Amino acid sequence: MTPPPYFDVDIQVEVDRFTVEVAFQTTAAFTGLFGPSGAGKTTMLESLAGLRPSARGRAALGGRVLFDSDQGVGVPVHERGIGYVAQADLLFPHLTVLGNVLAGKRRAARKGRDAIDPDRALQVLELTEMRHRRVTTLSGGERQRVALARALCSGPDVLFLDEPLGSLDLPLRRRILPYLLRVRREFGMPMLFVSHDATEVQALCDHLIVLEKGKKIAEGRPGNVLTDPRIFPVAEHLDFENLLRGQVERQDKETAQIVLNTEGEADLRLTAVAKRLQEGQPVMIGVRAEDIILATVRPEGLSARNILPGTIQSIRVGSNDSTVALSLAREMPDILVRLAIPTVHALGLEAGQSVFLVMKARACHVLSEPMS
Amino acid sequence: MNAEIYSPLFISLKVALGATLAIIPPGMAAAYLLARRDFFGKSLLETLLSLPLVLPPTAVGYLLLRMLGSRGILGRETLGFDPDILLTWKGALIAGGTMAFPLLVRTAKVAFSDVDSRLENMARTLGMNRFEVFARITLPLAGRGLLAAIVLAFSRALGEFGATVIVAGNIPGKTQTLALAIYNHIQVGREAEATRLLLITVFIAFILVWCVELLTRRAHSNRQAEDESRPS
Repeated sequence: MTPPPYFDVDIQVEVDRFTVEVAFQTTAAFTGLFGPSGAGKTTMLESLAGLRPSARGRAALGGRVLFDSDQGVGVPVHERGIGYVAQADLLFPHLTVLGNVLAGKRRAARKGRDAIDPDRALQVLELTEMRHRRVTTLSGGERQRVALARALCSGPDVLFLDEPLGSLDLPLRRRILPYLLRVRREFGMPMLFVSHDATEVQALCDHLIVLEKGKKIAEGRPGNVLTDPRIFPVAEHLDFENLLRGQVERQDKETAQIVLNTEGEADLRLTAVAKRLQEGQPVMIGVRAEDIILATVRPEGLSARNILPGTIQSIRVGSNDSTVALSLAREMPDILVRLAIPTVHALGLEAGQSVFLVMKARACHVLSEPMS
Repeated sequence: MNAEIYSPLFISLKVALGATLAIIPPGMAAAYLLARRDFFGKSLLETLLSLPLVLPPTAVGYLLLRMLGSRGILGRETLGFDPDILLTWKGALIAGGTMAFPLLVRTAKVAFSDVDSRLENMARTLGMNRFEVFARITLPLAGRGLLAAIVLAFSRALGEFGATVIVAGNIPGKTQTLALAIYNHIQVGREAEATRLLLITVFIAFILVWCVELLTRRAHSNRQAEDESRPS
């Protein structure tokens, strides 16, 4: 027997340019909405949260019907149990950090012992030291963490994260992402996560829905969906980063040895530049599509530390460059490599061919929870 | 001598304070509605509410006189009892309140509109009902602007002349406010008394306008600090 879906959504909302019309069902508690700006992602979240009264259709989360326009059911916004983190952090400027975090404490109190302890949330998000500061004095990254803590501490059943890192620059986003990973593990609360950043959705979500111009164009496991040649154009204009999951085998002075998760199928190891990782710690390794070199024969005498065998699944030639999808092991999502178009022809690459992927240790970015 | 100063001052303060307190509940409610809701006939209502600002005060006074007269819609014959308003301090209060009302509504409406409605939505997602959102988010964020609106309304009621003299008359010790007393003194050539009252009104007006100035400036700099701290 399959478990009932956590997200059971079938809604239609008129917006200025088009109608957002999306239906999906998934048992995955960590679901992502992915797509370019203006695809209707935020509209979806706002409709589910009750902030768009014009939404039609039906939505149930965790078996609880939030609205059903045919039946005339519409749970008021404040009773939907949704912890919302918007793209603009929207902190209450007249309150301190703690005042913001405790803004939803009444609903949390009604939830009783299941509610998240604010002290714990402040600690997990490393906000304890600044809890008495006015939020107007915080940096962008700090404000987003406060917004996250505020949503967590309002006793929600589910978290809605609308590009919570969207207003931050890339280095800062990569520094905040680990906090989201920690929140996911620590509190295990279901999450609907909106982003146009492929790395973020791969890192955080088990199920991904891709939207374009208000319609669902694909869904599935993030690694599979994002590397699908039909979907990839959506992510093409962004720096695509492959995300591999694994465990720390050994921490050396400047680098760490990571065993990749392949479900026992193959023995794949990577060396990445990293410090202070612990043995056995689960990590993710980000490798940008343009930082991988392909070789048709196993190279020797190379300074790059990582050479992995793989099989070409597909080659897509775009207008500026080409994208090669490779599989390392059957249970792993494909890896995307971006190459110049003449290179593909010069090497005579084709689907089904066995090749070697070459990556410098420095090109492998370890993504893990904040190291304290 | 002293009674000549203190009596008009006391009557003025009593009338202006009473008028302001009386118009705060309906004025704030109207301002909030106009700032936050769209409804049929909204612009019509807004225009009607603003009329006392542009009509000659004596015209408003005459309108009130007609309404409160014995055959008016708020008069003795309609109500079935004598409300005893005309030519009393209550009449002055109603005249001052009517003239101050649009100023209160318009200023408070701007204060409410300045509150980012996305913050209110965010508060709702945190489990606050509409009343809690109003009390804990909207009111504190609009607070300075609302205070400024109240001070402005009080000042307007304090200086009311045209409508007051028609509805309440100019009875020393009963309905004679500072504005009416100054007029009276000038009419009969008592320049010293008029000057004394003038200085008092200048002093009060200065304090009140200064308050508004400080309130609106702080509200503005608060908003600026908030904008600057926001990542672009």
